[in-house]
Amino acid sequence: MGRQPTMGRGGKKGTVTPQELNPSPRLKRGPKMGKRRKMKRKKKKTDVEELKKEVVLDDHRLTLEEMSTKYSVDLMMGLSPERAQEILKKNGPNALTPPPTTPKWVKFCRQLFGGFSILLWIGAILCFLAYGIQVHYKEDSTKDNLYLGMVLAIVVMITGCFSYYQEAKSSKIMESFRNMVPQQALVIRAGEKMQINVEDVVVGDLVEVKGGDRIPADLRLISTQGCKVDNSSLTGESEPQTRSPDFTHENPLETRNICFFSTNCVEGTARGIVIATGDSTVMGRIATLTSGLVVGKTPIAAEIEHFIQLITGVAVFLGVSFFVLSLVLGYGWLEAVIFLIGIIVANVPEGLLATVTVCLTLTAKRMSRKNCLVKNLEAVETLGSTSTICSDKTGTLTQNRMTVAHMWFDKTIYEADTSEEQTGKTFAKGSTTWFILARIAALCNRADFKPNQETLPIAKRATTGDASESALLKFIEQSYSSVKEMREQNPKVAEIPFNSTNKYQMSIHLQEDGSQAHVLMMKGAPERILEFCSTYLLKGKEYPMDDEMKKNFQNAYLELGGLGERVLGFCFLNLPSTFSKGFRFNTDEINFPMENLCFVGLISMIDPPRAAVPDAVGKCRSAGIKVIMVTGDHPITAKAIAKGVGIISEGTETAEDMAARLQVPVSQTNPREAKAIVVHGSDLKDMTSEQLDEILKNHTEIVFARTSPQQKLIIVEGCQRQGAVVAVTGDGVNDSPALKKADIGIAMGISGSDVSKQAADMILLDDNFASIVTGVEEGRLIFDNLKKSIAYTLTSNIPEITPFLLFIILSIPLPLGTITILCIDLGTDMVPAISLAYESAESDIMKRAPRNPKIDNLVNNRLIGMAYGQIGMIQALAGFFTYFVILAENGFKPIDLLGIRLNWEDRFFNDLEDSYGQQWTYEQRKVLEFTCQTAFFVSIVVVQWADLIICKTRRNSVFQQGMKNNILIFGIMEETFLAAFLSYAPGMDMALRMYPLKLPWWLCAIPYSVLIFVYDEIRKLTIRRHPGGWLERETYY
Amino acid sequence: MRRQLRSRRAPASPYGYRYRLDDQDEVNQNYLADEEEEAEEEARVMVVPDLEEEEEEEEEEEEEEEIEEEEKEEEKGQGQPTGNAWWQKWQIVNEYLWDPEKRMSLARTGLILVIYFFFYASLAAVITLCMYTLFLTISPYMPPFTERVKPPGVMIRPFAHSLNFNFNVSEPDTWQHYVISLNGFLQGYNDSLQEEMNVDCPPGQYFIQDGDEDEDKKACQFKRSFLKNCSGLEDPTFGYSTGQPCILLKMNRIVGFRPELGDPVKVSCKVQRGDENDIRSINYYPESASFDLRYYPYYGKLTHVNYTSPLVAMHFTDVVKNQAVPVQCQLKGKGIINDVINDRFVGRVIFTLNIET
Repeated sequence: MGRQPTMGRGGKKGTVTPQELNPSPRLKRGPKMGKRRKMKRKKKKTDVEELKKEVVLDDHRLTLEEMSTKYSVDLMMGLSPERAQEILKKNGPNALTPPPTTPKWVKFCRQLFGGFSILLWIGAILCFLAYGIQVHYKEDSTKDNLYLGMVLAIVVMITGCFSYYQEAKSSKIMESFRNMVPQQALVIRAGEKMQINVEDVVVGDLVEVKGGDRIPADLRLISTQGCKVDNSSLTGESEPQTRSPDFTHENPLETRNICFFSTNCVEGTARGIVIATGDSTVMGRIATLTSGLVVGKTPIAAEIEHFIQLITGVAVFLGVSFFVLSLVLGYGWLEAVIFLIGIIVANVPEGLLATVTVCLTLTAKRMSRKNCLVKNLEAVETLGSTSTICSDKTGTLTQNRMTVAHMWFDKTIYEADTSEEQTGKTFAKGSTTWFILARIAALCNRADFKPNQETLPIAKRATTGDASESALLKFIEQSYSSVKEMREQNPKVAEIPFNSTNKYQMSIHLQEDGSQAHVLMMKGAPERILEFCSTYLLKGKEYPMDDEMKKNFQNAYLELGGLGERVLGFCFLNLPSTFSKGFRFNTDEINFPMENLCFVGLISMIDPPRAAVPDAVGKCRSAGIKVIMVTGDHPITAKAIAKGVGIISEGTETAEDMAARLQVPVSQTNPREAKAIVVHGSDLKDMTSEQLDEILKNHTEIVFARTSPQQKLIIVEGCQRQGAVVAVTGDGVNDSPALKKADIGIAMGISGSDVSKQAADMILLDDNFASIVTGVEEGRLIFDNLKKSIAYTLTSNIPEITPFLLFIILSIPLPLGTITILCIDLGTDMVPAISLAYESAESDIMKRAPRNPKIDNLVNNRLIGMAYGQIGMIQALAGFFTYFVILAENGFKPIDLLGIRLNWEDRFFNDLEDSYGQQWTYEQRKVLEFTCQTAFFVSIVVVQWADLIICKTRRNSVFQQGMKNNILIFGIMEETFLAAFLSYAPGMDMALRMYPLKLPWWLCAIPYSVLIFVYDEIRKLTIRRHPGGWLERETYY
Repeated sequence: MRRQLRSRRAPASPYGYRYRLDDQDEVNQNYLADEEEEAEEEARVMVVPDLEEEEEEEEEEEEEEEIEEEEKEEEKGQGQPTGNAWWQKWQIVNEYLWDPEKRMSLARTGLILVIYFFFYASLAAVITLCMYTLFLTISPYMPPFTERVKPPGVMIRPFAHSLNFNFNVSEPDTWQHYVISLNGFLQGYNDSLQEEMNVDCPPGQYFIQDGDEDEDKKACQFKRSFLKNCSGLEDPTFGYSTGQPCILLKMNRIVGFRPELGDPVKVSCKVQRGDENDIRSINYYPESASFDLRYYPYYGKLTHVNYTSPLVAMHFTDVVKNQAVPVQCQLKGKGIINDVINDRFVGRVIFTLNIET
């Protein structure tokens, strides 16, 4: 495959040009199928593959003349308006194609027909079908099936509306993040400066930007004045970067002469040629990549699917077997079909959908109070099953604020306070050296506080100037004295600003003591500073520089550098009297001495970790969650922070550490013995996916440094290949593909870009890593509580189905009717089931490993076995017992009920004899039947008390757990009062055919309630006594 | 090209081969654990096909498991070569059936079955105990509550699952079944039988039989001949052949029910809707058109074995022909309710006569 000779190194790595549309003579690289993508079956779209590769541009290598010819543009005059129009027509407007947003009605339909709802819809349709059959073949059919179908449909619709409303609410918050102000750009066309809409900017346009502007397109700079840009949304680098027309780096993302679309110009001005617009810009490519990603199902969706399969299996099995049975028993085809449908529908837990939705909503609310805004309800649980967190460094783990961490003077390292509160640690403030160091740091410093923030604490004030200088400024202001006063007393007379070739900054100030003398102060890269110095300061006295001092200096420099800190050296020179006040310093042609300076000390700075993060990382670790740091920063800094926050824990070492300890070359160490690893982005670039898998598998503590935007996505995919549920944090546009691809993408609420917030599932309102951990805790809790909730709800399914089954087999009067079933599912069971969402954890949920989505299912056959096979059966017995008591007390003994169905249901049979020879009219015995159904219903409520209490815990005894859940107690009261109301309220006999019960009939189920409680307590006791034992394996859900 | 580059790099990978093996072992172990479960499930299906107890339960579980299995297989299908998986499965099934190391087989499944068996057995014991206590508390002679069956309902004979009497006088086929039905119904009222089994008790007063609950009670005679023209003795067609149908009315039996003293329950019929004169005359038998007090109270099926419900026969001697005439017969008397809206058989009965000639 051909390659342009000019491409150099950058072209090696399977890269593609972002400029397919450009009329440039460059060769286009065809799609290359990366081997590492072979595994993925779903993603066949090669363009997505291409987008994942590194960006290649060569415009930054071209000279201005070449640029001029390439884009056929005059570097002074710009394009002609006609030519610009032409290009605009050809390339289209300079805007990102908005991702295909799903229309609202599609979202609504998804809520209505997705997941669990489908089960209810099928139930409803079956009901209508059964009703249709009944109407068609029988004149006087009951309308039960019609009502049931309608209720099912209404339940689905209400729940659908509810969850749609919930999601709409959080997406509204999302929209508030967006600020769509139409942008203007200053272009030069035919020599005239003109303001045009950013959309109309075309390739080849000559564009001028100034501080505060948003870059309108990808630019190759041709001239700049002190231009700095903030590329943080693209690279994650939070510090403004200088821009100049010089080609400084092969990597287009790092070179100085390229500005990127939608980044911000912080200060200065620049002029450049547009080299890409719209979707072909670097930013546009990332956006396209994001919207092109296929997102997997959320774990809870998978769980619900699994659950539906289980339930459907049970329902269909029961339905079909009883269909056959009823045919065998001599029922007609028609009746058998009605039975079949009835049984299938009876298995549908009507209230569960609403319960699950409400539980998730409650948790989402709770999480948003803890600064996790959940966009998608299902993401609530995803966070709980997270097994790997890929976290950003800047802003998430760290405070995103350069802070002075250490000083070295008087041959001693002093520590400064880096905590967020800045309580202020003391160090040798009495030393004269410190006094001089502080003066240099304050005076040889271009940063300044922005006005009108005197009331704010110093650490929180906004500053102008770059991060290091601001850090120094704040530090001095805090621990020394007012910088402003110092600067007023020592006016600056000349300065050489910092630049990357000098690597130092120098300024000359008037001495404050009125001696008219000047002092030269300098700060910069320590090794450069040392070169200028011939003496050094120790406890306020100057000594000539010696080797010992140089050695000390080297050690200190290495030590501080090894902490990942940015180290600056400081020195000064009292200028001789010949350069006293009035001397005109010329900084271009230096007319003053700038050698033999006196070395004072070092100050090192770091973006310190947030206070809560080490704790949170520790929690993650004990919760079995792997925390991977992915950062664009330098490996050493990354490693230092990783160590600081515990991502690389104390005692573990990387292969390099090990090599250093054993004093052997790195190649001789066994990388597998090192648990920790710091992977450099450029190494990652060359890795196959197998190699990446190896790394992810074999190292528990991983830091990825110097990663590019695309690599984050590769890392996420790597983790997902390991079967992990991956959470990714990110703030920049560059993170959005990874955010989208991750099982749960977490965007930063404060520093995050709009694009990342769009792509994420969750937004961290305080940008704090620790909030994720509380989110994980909530997610795990809700998973446990959903289990309990479902166990509770499913249990009452058995006492709801068995009456119908016995009705068919034994031909007894129907013990529980459709209306009463609905009263349980949608009435009495609702609040108690929801109240279980408020249950506190049984043990420290952050001390166990994340659930394995393949094995730990939300609903497994143990849960079904418990709910259906054991507790449900006892409940059914309670119901039947009550039923038989009432019938027997009214004259129908159980034995005489067998086979009574046909006569019982005959409207014209108005002298049906009971066990005492009494004769009943149809209506009389129907009233009796409905009384029985009411009693059956009440019995279920009574046994559900016990069920609710045993569902509170899965392992612990209720006596250990306590009854602190007030909502649950309220739930018990509510269901009881509701049951009493339904039974005793006047008019209920007409409305719902529920009849008042005699008090003793309430008590029939009490023994069974006690039985359930005792049985389960014994079961749980055995499980606790024999952890991992047989009973646990068989019944612990 | 890129692939080449990678493959050249591959040997330089810093990770040893040994570890890869280890990892695979680990994976395999997990995989085996899954397999084991499945195999056991399968084994159960194979070995214990018919346990009568809890068949329902077991099958239910199997169903669930099948679903699970399918899922698992799907998962596997993606990761592992299937042939191998099947072979392993087979091995494990074998091992399960007879595990040479542990010298155990089917232990787990068996245990589940046993436990469930005992569980359900004890549940059965519990319900039996409960039912037993229930019967201890309920008297076999007298139901604890009778308010649901009160006030008494009314039913008519002949009864052919319909309350429309449509027949053509000249076509015996259309009314023959009424005659048969009535004849059958009145067999128990034959005078000979009544005289043999029951006693002739004094009319106009309750036939109260004190004594122990479990003592057999005597029943009062209600002879077929009381029904005179509707007894079928003189006119074996009960008037159907002449277009003057007899319809018998009886009040539902209720244990312990006593009509108001001195005021027997009377029957009166009239046209329910339409012209009053559609029925010009009705003869009631017994002529009092009432249920004599001596037939009350009723002591229940167990002791009051030969109790014969008293009847009132309505002889519709002059009904408009060739037209549906809705008739409502009501009970009248103290303690009788005959206007319950929901129940059209309490204290009244409504039927239509449509006699064609």
